[in-house]
Amino acid sequence: MGGMAGGAEKVKTSSHVQSPLMRSGTSSAPRLYVVPALAALIGGIFIYAGALKAWDPVKFANDIQNFRILSWPVGVRLAFYLPWVEIVAGLALFIGWMRSGALAILSALTVIFIIATVSARTRGIDLECGCFGAASKNWSFTSHMAVLIGLLAAVVLLWFWNPPQSARNSAL
Amino acid sequence: MRAMFRQALLLLGLAFLPAIGQAVYHRSSAPWNQPALREGEVRLEQARDWGDSVIWVDARPDEQFERDRIPLAVPLNQDRWDELLPQFLEKWSPDKRVIVYCSTLSCALSHDVARRLREQAGLPNVYVLNGGWEAWQEALKK
Repeated sequence: MGGMAGGAEKVKTSSHVQSPLMRSGTSSAPRLYVVPALAALIGGIFIYAGALKAWDPVKFANDIQNFRILSWPVGVRLAFYLPWVEIVAGLALFIGWMRSGALAILSALTVIFIIATVSARTRGIDLECGCFGAASKNWSFTSHMAVLIGLLAAVVLLWFWNPPQSARNSAL
Repeated sequence: MRAMFRQALLLLGLAFLPAIGQAVYHRSSAPWNQPALREGEVRLEQARDWGDSVIWVDARPDEQFERDRIPLAVPLNQDRWDELLPQFLEKWSPDKRVIVYCSTLSCALSHDVARRLREQAGLPNVYVLNGGWEAWQEALKK
């Protein structure tokens, strides 16, 4: 859990990854624990969601196809790639390695999922949420959106509460 | 900001490696060009070849069935299973093939209804239409 340790480090930040809150020196002790914990939780959720999809990429390709946005050949290739993006970015967030890059990827993914879901809904498509495998099989549109917006809110919160980056990140 | 993009690109590149590995592992079994058939599914072309020996079963909710359906389809959904099953069985005969459909490629209702027809009603020759009602509508457009 390098991220947990990284969060408790004495401040050694590179200015290009500092959030406004950090720059203004408002970092508080509770935040040093809350932020890494939230990062680990959100990272863990994405790792779990990605692993479920990576386990059965063809099933995920069917879920992508259900949105009726991409052709099957494109969707099935994406179905082999996207789960690993979730896993790698989730893992990076979990361990606190390249946190800014991970947050950028995860927020972009979540926004894309939200846009695709709303787009499908407006076109009258009855979607089965493929986000968490069988666990999300019977989710309603409202539940689906609540989870996505909750995840986005958490990612945005982490973005603004980005804790001190490790020296490892500074090297990048 | 530049560091963030650099990190994001690096992570995206890292994700590419296991994805490529998995794709290579599944290269011969993955349906790269058209949706795969799941167990018990038939494609629309096959179903049409069977002609009049097919009973179409609509597993969607009542309001969707009322709005539109495959001609001569029989409603049989989970909500009114006990009420609709006897009506379906009146039309069923052993020489018929039963094809259940729901809305789309990934809806699960048709598979659930087909499973209940096989396991609870003990019917043979029960299939699920790959792509469901959406595949039917697409075929009509062509």
